[in-house]
Amino acid sequence: MAVFLQSLISGILIGGVYALIGIGLTLIFGVMRVVNFAHGDIMMVGMYLTYLLFTLMGIDPFVSVLISFPLMFFFGGFLQKVFINRVLNAVAQNQILLTIGLGLIMSNTVMLIFTSDYKILTTSYSSSTIQVGGGVSVSTPLLISFLITAAITAALGWFLLKTDTGQAIRATAQDRDAAQLMGINVSRMSVIAFGLGAALAGTAGALISPTYYIFPQVGGTFTLKAFVITVLGGMGSVVGATLGGILIGVTESMSAVYISSGWKDVVVFVLFLLVLLFKPSGLMGKSRT
Amino acid sequence: MRKHLLALGAALALSPCLMAQKIGVINSMSGPEAPIGENITNGIKLADEDLKKKGINLQLVWEDDTGKPQISMSAMEKLATRDNVVGVVGPYTSACSNAVAKLAEKYRVPLLIPAAAKEEITRQGLKYVFRMNAPADKYASSLIDAAASLGKPKSIAFIYENTDFGTSTTKTAKEYVAKKGIQIVADEPYPKGAADYRSTLAKVKSKNPDLVFMVSYVADAILLMRQSKEVGLQPQAFLGAGAGFTTTEFAKERAISESVISCTQWTNDVNWPGAKDFGTRYKAKFGKEPTYHAACAYASMMIMAETAKNAGGDRTKTRNALKAGKWNGVMGEVQFADYDGFTNQNNHQMLVQQILSGNYETVLPAQFATKKAVYPFPKWK
Amino acid sequence: MYKTLIKASLGLIFLAALLVIPRYVESPYALHMMILLFLSVSQGQSWNILGGYAGQYSVGHAAYFGVGAYTTMMLMYSRQVVPWVGVWVGVAIVIVVALVIGSICFRLRGPYFVLASIAVAEIMRLSAINLTTLTNGAEGILATEIPAFKIGERVITDFLTKVPFYYIGLFLALFTIAITYWVQHSKLGYYFQAIREDQDAAHSLGIHITVYKNIGLVISAVLTSLAGAFYGIYVGFVDPPTVLGLDVSVQIMLICIIGGMGTIWGPVLGSLLLVPLSEALRSNMITEGLVKIGLVSADSRIGLFLKENLSHAHVLLYGILVVLVILFMPEGLMGFIKKMAPRRNREAV
Repeated sequence: MAVFLQSLISGILIGGVYALIGIGLTLIFGVMRVVNFAHGDIMMVGMYLTYLLFTLMGIDPFVSVLISFPLMFFFGGFLQKVFINRVLNAVAQNQILLTIGLGLIMSNTVMLIFTSDYKILTTSYSSSTIQVGGGVSVSTPLLISFLITAAITAALGWFLLKTDTGQAIRATAQDRDAAQLMGINVSRMSVIAFGLGAALAGTAGALISPTYYIFPQVGGTFTLKAFVITVLGGMGSVVGATLGGILIGVTESMSAVYISSGWKDVVVFVLFLLVLLFKPSGLMGKSRT
Repeated sequence: MRKHLLALGAALALSPCLMAQKIGVINSMSGPEAPIGENITNGIKLADEDLKKKGINLQLVWEDDTGKPQISMSAMEKLATRDNVVGVVGPYTSACSNAVAKLAEKYRVPLLIPAAAKEEITRQGLKYVFRMNAPADKYASSLIDAAASLGKPKSIAFIYENTDFGTSTTKTAKEYVAKKGIQIVADEPYPKGAADYRSTLAKVKSKNPDLVFMVSYVADAILLMRQSKEVGLQPQAFLGAGAGFTTTEFAKERAISESVISCTQWTNDVNWPGAKDFGTRYKAKFGKEPTYHAACAYASMMIMAETAKNAGGDRTKTRNALKAGKWNGVMGEVQFADYDGFTNQNNHQMLVQQILSGNYETVLPAQFATKKAVYPFPKWK
Repeated sequence: MYKTLIKASLGLIFLAALLVIPRYVESPYALHMMILLFLSVSQGQSWNILGGYAGQYSVGHAAYFGVGAYTTMMLMYSRQVVPWVGVWVGVAIVIVVALVIGSICFRLRGPYFVLASIAVAEIMRLSAINLTTLTNGAEGILATEIPAFKIGERVITDFLTKVPFYYIGLFLALFTIAITYWVQHSKLGYYFQAIREDQDAAHSLGIHITVYKNIGLVISAVLTSLAGAFYGIYVGFVDPPTVLGLDVSVQIMLICIIGGMGTIWGPVLGSLLLVPLSEALRSNMITEGLVKIGLVSADSRIGLFLKENLSHAHVLLYGILVVLVILFMPEGLMGFIKKMAPRRNREAV
C-alpha cells in the first residue's frame, strides 16, 4: 500500500511539471497548427537561464520564474516572428524540419557556451522531504513546483477566458480565417501564443531544475513527452494538457512499479496510440480539423 | 561541392610531411556522449602539453565520432588511409570502439582504447587493439567483493540504466552474486534521463535488500540517491558503478552521497606515480576535477606517443612495442596482457572508494586505502 | 529525340564511371564515403516514395531501417543464417510491420500521422532495448565476420575489402532510383500524387486511399529495410539508438526534403550535399582547407578559434543549414534549380 501511495503521489507531482510543458505546446499548436519539435530545447534554454540566475546572482530557482517567464516570452515571440511565421502556410513537414533545425541550433549553441557538462543546481531544499505518514514521503521542491504550476495554470485559464487578448487567442485557435474576418490581429495572436508557449516551457525548466540536472541535449525526452500529453489532452486544450500531464506522470510511475521500469515508456506510447485511434480528439478536445 | 572537396583532399595529401609523430584521436566531442567525451579531450590535451615538455612533438588529428559507430568508422578510415597516423587513441563509447577495432586490425593501425567498458572488444583476439581500462566485469566483482568483505549481505537489488554499459555491468554482476550466494530481490533497468525514480525505489524498498547496486553513467546518480533518501531506502550499503557516482558534483551533494561506495579506474589520492600531480594540474587548467576517463586518456596518449616515437613512426614496430612494454604512471602499472580470453588487455586494478566527509577516500584494496570503510550505511537523517 | 539521346548517353557514361571507380580508386576512405553516399541515396529515395509522392510525412522510418538491420544481424548472429538470405526474412517481417503500422497510422492525418509514426518507432526502439533474449538489448549485436558469398563452391566475394560493399551499395542506390522512376511514371504515381494534393478529392475520384497509402508504405518500408540490412552488415554492429533512434528517422527525411521531395533526383542531390558536408564539418577539413588556401593563418586567433570550435559546432552548422533551406528553398535543392533554370528549358523538360 505504501508503494502504491508513494507512486501515486510522486506521479501526480511530476505530472504537474509535465503538464506545464504540454500546455505550452498545446497553445502553440492550437493557434498555429505547428507541431513544435523545438519545445524541449526551449525548455532547456529556460533551465540554463535559471542556472545562470542561480549561480551568478544567487536567485532561487522558484523566484527566478518571475524573471525567466518574461524573458522566455520574448524569446518565443522572437522565434515566432523571425522563423515560424514564415512557414505558417507551408506544408507540415517543412514546419517540422524548421523546428527541428531551430532545436539543433539552440542545443548546440548552448553546448558551445556552457560545454556539455552536466550542471547540477543544488539548493538548500533539493533533498528535503515532508513525511506524510505510513512510510510515504513527499519531496518538498517537487511539491512547491506543483503548487506553482497549479497557480500558473489557473492564471493562464483566467487570462484565456476573461481577457480580450485571451479570447482573441481562443478565437484564432478555433478558426484562424474567421478570426481574421472578425478583425482580430491574427499574426499578433500567434506571436503572443508562441511567446506564452515558450514562457511556459521555460518555467517548467526552471521548476524542474532543483530536482533534476541540466545539459544541452536534455530537451529531446521532454519534447516527446509534450507531444504525448498534448494529444492525450486534445490538441489545443489547456485543461486537457493539464490532465494529460498528470495522467502521464501517474502512468509512468505506476507502470514502473507494476510492470517494469524498462517498459514504462512503452506503456505511455501505447496509451498515446490508443487515444489517437479511439478518441483522436483527445480527452478534452471537441473537434479535429 | 564534392569536386571541391576532392581538390581539397588532394591538396592536403600533397602537403609536406611534418616531422612530428602523427597520432589520431577519435572521441565523442558532440552529440549525446559529449559530456563524458570532453574529459577524454582534456586528458589528451594535457598529455600533449607534457609530451612537448619532454621534447616529443605530436601532430594530433582530432576526429569527432558524434557517438555514432558509422561515423567513427569514417574517422578510422580517414586516419588510417589518408592521414597515415602511427596509432590511434579512442574512441570513447563501446559501440564505436567495437566498430573501429576491426578496422584497426585490418589496416594494422595500433589502437589504444582508453575507457570503453564492453568486455567483447578485447576478446576477439585482435592483435592491434589495446585497452587501458578494466572492462565491465571488474566493476561488478570489485564492488561486490568489497561489500562481502565488509559485512554479510544476503540480498541485493539492481537498479541500472538500460544502456550498453548498464546492462552489461549488471549482467556480470548477477552472475557474480549467484556464485557468492547472494539473492537477487529486484532487477530494475531504467531509461537514462528520467526525472522520477521514486516509484521504482519505493518498490525496491519494499523488498528490503541488504545491498543496492546502481549503475548510472551520468547525473542520474544524484537523482537516484536524492530520491532514495526521500523514500527512505535503507540498505547496508549503496554500491555505485559508473561515472555518475565518481564525480565531484556527486561528492559535493553531501546530504545524499555520504558513505556511498563506488568503484573507479582512478582516483587522485591513489599513490600511483604522478596521479596527484596530474589531478592538480588538470584542475588548474580546466577548472574541474579530472574523471577517470581523463586519467585513462592521458595515460593512453602518453604511452602511445612515446611508443610511436621510439618505434620511429612505424605501425608494426609500435604495435610490437605496445605489446612488449611495461609502464608505470598515473594509471599505475600498465601492461597489455593476454588472460581469461582477453587479448592486449591491461589487467587494471579497480579501486573501491567511499565518500567520507564529502571526499572520495580509497577504502579497498588495502594497499591503496587511505581510510577505513564505514559499514553499514548510516541511517538517513 | 536528339536531347534524349544525349541525356541517355551522359547517364550511361556516368554509370560506367561509377562502375569502374573501385578499379582506380584504392583509398578505402574514398570508397567508404561513396558507400555512405549510396546508403544515404537509398534511404532518402525510400522515404521519397511515401513522403514525397504520397505525401505521408513519416518521422518513424527508423522502425523499418532498424527491423531490416536487426533481423539480418540477429539471424546471422544466433542462427548463422547468411545475410543474403536473412535480408529477405527481414523484408518479410518489415512488410508485416508496415501493414500493422499502416493500419494504425493511416487512420490519422497531418500532424497526428507524424506523431503516431514517431510513437510507433519509439515503441520499436524501446522493445529492442527490453527484449534482451531476442535482441541482446542495449548491448547490441556485433558481427565479427561475414561469411563469404558463394554460389555452389565458387567464392564470389569474401567481403574483406570495401569493393563488394561498394557494388552492393551502388546497386541498392540505383535500384531505389529505378523504383522511384517506375512509381513516378506509373498509374501508382498518379494515384499517390492525387492523394498528396487532396485526399478528399482523390477519394471522390474513386481512388481507394487507404489501399494506395499502404502500397506506398510497403514499397517505402521494404526499400528502407534493405538499406538497414546493408548498414548492419557493413558496419558490423547494431544497437537500438544507432538504427532505431529518432535521429535516424529525422536524418532519412532530411536527405529527401533538403534535396527536393517528390522528384527523382532530389534525394540524390540531398545526399550529394549532406554526406560530404557533414564529413567535412566533422573532421575539421573546412578549417584545414581555409588554412591551406591561405585565407586564415593556422596560428592566428581566428585559425585557433576555428580549429577549436568548428568541429564542435558542426551540428550547429547543420541546424543552420536546415533552417536556411526551409526558409529560402522550401521546395528543396531541386525546386530551387528548377526555379533558377530559364523558362524555355523548363518547357523542354
